[in-house]
Amino acid sequence: MQNLITGFILIGITIFFYAFFLFKNDNKKLKRSFKKGIKQFIKNSIRLFAVFVIIGLLQSFLSKESVANFLLKFQGFKGIIFGELTGAVMMGPVASGYPIGKYLLENGASISLISAFLLSWVLIGIVSISIEFKEFGVKFAISRNILTLVFIILISILMGILI
Amino acid sequence: MKEKIKSIFSEYYLEIIFLTIALILVLINKNKAYVGFKYALNTYKNLFFVIMGVAFLSGLISELVNENMIRKYIGKESGFKGVIIGAIFGTVMVGPAYVYYPFLKELMNKGAKINVIATTIGAWAIKLQWLPFAITILGAKFIITLNIFIFIFAIFSGYLIEYFTNNLK
Repeated sequence: MQNLITGFILIGITIFFYAFFLFKNDNKKLKRSFKKGIKQFIKNSIRLFAVFVIIGLLQSFLSKESVANFLLKFQGFKGIIFGELTGAVMMGPVASGYPIGKYLLENGASISLISAFLLSWVLIGIVSISIEFKEFGVKFAISRNILTLVFIILISILMGILI
Repeated sequence: MKEKIKSIFSEYYLEIIFLTIALILVLINKNKAYVGFKYALNTYKNLFFVIMGVAFLSGLISELVNENMIRKYIGKESGFKGVIIGAIFGTVMVGPAYVYYPFLKELMNKGAKINVIATTIGAWAIKLQWLPFAITILGAKFIITLNIFIFIFAIFSGYLIEYFTNNLK
């Protein structure tokens, strides 16, 4: 629903600017940006659909219980690392991550592990990294993801101390 | 023709790899794979207008938006104000960040600073619309502290990412 509203807002803004072009009689620019839009739409659709397929497959192959039970095997620092790695593989809306977090908490996993898992879920996506590479280049993608990996560990340790 | 196939391959090699993985998984378990494909279709349908909006808006930005304006608000001249704009924008946006990457990329082409874009992507991890739900499940203290950390990290990491992107070989 929220995505629908956001989508309509984006399209509304776009239509507004197209109207502006029409009004200014700037047909050349209008045509060019429309062409670019179509090209992008096709390209992004293919790219995103491939990503969605992988996310969907991952979700159906990795059941919530098996992910949670896998993570419960680890404690301490190892727990943070495995929480982080698993969170990076998990994608899709994080809403399905919170119940896993709760299950972990009820079964004795540390706050740090859960923090690492949830942080990595929202900050790192093993599948979406490919899009990051394509759009922003290798240097940006690598430095962002490595920095994020390091900071998730730090934040998770801090969370363990604070909560 | 050969050239064309080559260019398609270099543009979409990741998608080709993904689909190969997908096909292997289909062979392993048809039912689960079917559920996965259904998920993909639903997600695409859900995000259809966002994907369309992002594409056409990116096209527009490349033609219409004045570089001076970008520079002033989220570019070189914006300073910390630009970072805060990026952080707030990322915080309030819904949907997966990677759907919006082409749009952010277009802003970068037009002069948006790397740290502002990196901060936006970082702050995107704060799922404002899910906070009430998350709090009922995991408790206010945990969720709010976690998200404050994400916000601080987003701002801080922006500067580091910019430094590394500019200075790595």
